[in-house]
Amino acid sequence: MPRARIIRDMKARATVASSEVVRQAFRYLTHNTALPAKVRAQAQLQLNAFPRDARPTAIHNRCLETGRGRGVLRAFRLCRFQFRLKALEGEIPGVRKSTW
Amino acid sequence: MSLAIPAAGKMTFLSKLSCAIFGNVYNPQNIRTGNKILRQRLVGPTVNAYYPNVKRITLREITRMAPELNLVDQLEKTRLEDLSERKKRGKGPPKKGQGRRSTLGKKK
Repeated sequence: MPRARIIRDMKARATVASSEVVRQAFRYLTHNTALPAKVRAQAQLQLNAFPRDARPTAIHNRCLETGRGRGVLRAFRLCRFQFRLKALEGEIPGVRKSTW
Repeated sequence: MSLAIPAAGKMTFLSKLSCAIFGNVYNPQNIRTGNKILRQRLVGPTVNAYYPNVKRITLREITRMAPELNLVDQLEKTRLEDLSERKKRGKGPPKKGQGRRSTLGKKK
């Protein structure tokens, strides 16, 4: 089973993906200064009414193995220690330990 | 020969024309139209693809699909055993109305 934090992040990602188009439309309305102030304020209220997971900033890249939220290497989607373990095991293609 | 400064009307005409030719929006006062939000790419598909979509099968699902195998969930079994053991020692959950909270007011 994935860790609880990972499940939470999955949920946030699904929410962001599903509400993105509508949210961007409201964001356009609020950012357009040519529109009447009332319309823009209403669009702002609509934006606030979205769940908090709908914001793209609610997403946080996590380690696939451990669910750790810090020190995650983006290219491998692993935290630094899991990356080291897997690299030493030879499970990550093209990565090997070097000394100089 | 000296270059003459073109009239203001000519310049606006020219910029309008260039916008029409190059497909730009004519916006001389630089009003914020919010177009930059429409220009942004949608991140939904990439954001959704971060975690690999691996469905892990649990023991409970196997027993539900094939009850004739008579598989035993050892964890669940030990949990129930522990529960019954605790109940025997009188450590089970109190009956309704016998708990700490409900007796707090009655003591007076």
